[in-house]
Amino acid sequence: MIDAMISEIGFVFLLSLFAMGAAGSLCFKKRDTLANGWQNFFAIIGSLWGIIFSIGAFFVTRGISFAATSSVFPLLSFSFHIDKLSAFFIFVISLITLFCSIYGIGYIKHFYKKYNIGALGFFYHLFIAGMLMVVTASNGLFFLVAWEIMAIASYFLVVYDHNDNDTVKAGSLYLIMTYAGTSCIILSLLLLYAYTGSFDFAAITSSVALIPVSVKNAIFVLSLIGFGAKAGIIPFHIWLPAAHPAAPSHVSALMSGVMIKTGIYMMIRMFMDILEPAPLWWGLTVLIIGSVSALLGVLYALTEHDIKKLLAYHSIENIGIILLGLGSAMVFASVGNTPLALFGLGAALFHTVNHAVFKSLLFLSAGSIINQTHTRNMEEYGGLIKYMPLTAFFFLIGSMAISALPPFNGFFSEWMTFQVLLQGILSAEIVVKSIFVLATGALALTGGLALACFVKAFGVTFLARPRNSDVPRARESSWPLRAGMGALATVCLLFGIFSGYLAPLLARTGASSFLASANTAPSAASALLAPNGFGSVSGPVFFILFVFILLCVIAAAKYIVNKKQKINIGATWDCGANLTPRTEITATGFARSIVCIFSGILKPSLQHEIQYHDAHTRYVPKSRIVNLRMRDVYQSYFYVPLIQFITALSLRIKAIQSGNINMYVLYIFIAVVTALFLS
Amino acid sequence: MNILSLQFLLGVVFLTIIFLHLIRKNFGAVIAYGIQSFATVLILFGFFFETKNVSLLLVIFVAFAIKVILAPIFFITLIQKHELTFLTSTYLSTPLTLIVLAVLTALAHSQKFLPLTTIVPAHHALLSLALSAIFISLFLIINRKEAVSQALGILSFENGIVVFAIFAGLEQSPILQIGIIFDIFVWIIIAAVFLSMIYRQFQSLDTSLMRHLKD
Repeated sequence: MIDAMISEIGFVFLLSLFAMGAAGSLCFKKRDTLANGWQNFFAIIGSLWGIIFSIGAFFVTRGISFAATSSVFPLLSFSFHIDKLSAFFIFVISLITLFCSIYGIGYIKHFYKKYNIGALGFFYHLFIAGMLMVVTASNGLFFLVAWEIMAIASYFLVVYDHNDNDTVKAGSLYLIMTYAGTSCIILSLLLLYAYTGSFDFAAITSSVALIPVSVKNAIFVLSLIGFGAKAGIIPFHIWLPAAHPAAPSHVSALMSGVMIKTGIYMMIRMFMDILEPAPLWWGLTVLIIGSVSALLGVLYALTEHDIKKLLAYHSIENIGIILLGLGSAMVFASVGNTPLALFGLGAALFHTVNHAVFKSLLFLSAGSIINQTHTRNMEEYGGLIKYMPLTAFFFLIGSMAISALPPFNGFFSEWMTFQVLLQGILSAEIVVKSIFVLATGALALTGGLALACFVKAFGVTFLARPRNSDVPRARESSWPLRAGMGALATVCLLFGIFSGYLAPLLARTGASSFLASANTAPSAASALLAPNGFGSVSGPVFFILFVFILLCVIAAAKYIVNKKQKINIGATWDCGANLTPRTEITATGFARSIVCIFSGILKPSLQHEIQYHDAHTRYVPKSRIVNLRMRDVYQSYFYVPLIQFITALSLRIKAIQSGNINMYVLYIFIAVVTALFLS
Repeated sequence: MNILSLQFLLGVVFLTIIFLHLIRKNFGAVIAYGIQSFATVLILFGFFFETKNVSLLLVIFVAFAIKVILAPIFFITLIQKHELTFLTSTYLSTPLTLIVLAVLTALAHSQKFLPLTTIVPAHHALLSLALSAIFISLFLIINRKEAVSQALGILSFENGIVVFAIFAGLEQSPILQIGIIFDIFVWIIIAAVFLSMIYRQFQSLDTSLMRHLKD
């Protein structure tokens, strides 16, 4: 029975659940409640089955491989291979889908009578099924089909709120960047096919030695750009802060938490499996890109006032952290240090699942806030903890987890990444050593800045006084929203406490899948300690300490509040004026000092607008407005010149479009004859 | 059907395309296309005797009905409706056109295309001629300024591909062939309607006069 469940039948059943969810949603498109119920019921059942299936598949020694018996096209084979790595990603997708779908039951209601709920369900299920196929496809062409399904479905989810022009613009940008990335992926797969004669991943892996070094390097660069664009690495990230906030919040959570990880999955698959052995410089390149993405991602997040954009920038930061683990693993694999390579890969995978969990939690919390306040601008929040205490509590847990504070999960994966980077510093080569030093510094700085950013995000959103008339009207979210967020918050804590058991399991993913034999994988005994490492930590101990400190703080606060306090009457400190929201520190004010430190990178422009009571004397200001804007460095120095170049080129190419049909047929004729000549 | 008969029929196909290049009257061009299609259907019929595939008869019947009867009727009706007696000019003069036709025929028979024309070694000469028919049909579309002869060029091009596929042994299943012929039939209807609309709008079918349609 269990064998049948954890087999191709189990996986096909999983896909059929999402297919039924998609089809049913379309059938009930005119009936909002039914469409909502149907889509989330099948998503919950499907994701529950996905979790069970993935856990089972993870422990299947040889993996599960199967293919559709016949295919219309000779090179396209609907073939799947589920090894430990695929099973891990199925688990991540299913886990986040489960909680997002529970959340969705309540969240979707605000779209009733406004948009087509059936269409939302259709694309939601298609999107999930697309992601599941991406991480299990074992044929290059089939992978591209799955990749396209995922991309197109996610595009329609991004533009779901199509009455908003900004949303449509964000969708277009997302589509352009997706296809720019996909073109690189297609090119890399075609190069693989040209030298190995197959699109089958297993066949390519076995004949990878036939690929010349220069071509292999070109494939690496193309894959890095293609999958990096999906993952949101800098400088291909520009779609991410635009598209993620535009989508409905439970979709934003899936996109930011899971979809971008499909890029990471394919990087691991390509660089550490299909194209193995990888040269040293590949790993170093990934390390540099990871460092830059982590650092710049968090810096841009600090400057944001839009709560969802802030979270989207943090996704770039966390992708950078994952790449630090992956890059280290690639470096250690290339020098033959398999135990450390496995530990690095384990760190990358552990941060992948951790980021998926806490980022989804944060996006869902942000969705609840936006639902009540009808704005994404954090400057208009304030004091929400009084009106939405549970949401505030869940957001706080997410903030602590993303800021790598123990005992939550983010700390442990970042600690593993730190260890593997520190091991890299021991390297003999000066270039490698320097890159590891810089990467370690970048990660340390990123951690500190992330904490500052979430102090700002939590403080400005939930503490102090309301800055908007909508805030006092805010009410705590409904039970499905609270259940979704609460479950994710619990997972943040559980993954932290049991990190000692989870991390070695993930390190074995690479061991038994492709990198080495299972016996070189870290054992449970070594838990979160790198081979030759020196900084052992324990999740349960941290948890006990955390609970102890928390209890002490609560007891101290209770004592201070309840003790008989003497009322001191003295001079009014605030010139006799009442305290108002205008006296609070804003998000801009909070970030300003840090932004000024990094002004060389962020290029801020500061504008003061002062109005005086008497314009002639100009002694007493009436109002003072400070505008702090960031110049988009990537737009200015990369995308604008690129667009200008493409426009100039297009205008030149346009000259061949004479508007004469005879000319077009002549072009066809020349193309046909040339193709025949070349063949 | 023996090879001589096949050569003769293919020769008819080839010569009708040459004729389409030289003729000035629309009516004659449509008749030439009808003859060309009839020759193509006969070639198909010859292969029915070789294969004894009964379903091929259905294909032949459908091809005959659409290419030999319906398509010419559509075009003749169009010509009579709008009194399109004469074809408009070509981009190249007649001597230059003949030189290009010679070059294209030589190109199709050149060594460069040997891998293509020796798919079935016994049909080498036939395949070379069929390839020439494809090339000069494409050139017909390029060289003519008038839409009716361009449409006839497209249909000749399709006939060229059909005969090439037959001699190269690339014929597909009868259902697929019927599907393609039906597709062509729909295309002919749409082309006829469009041509009629274009004529009503511009009082001409000279595509070179429609430059203002460019964005």
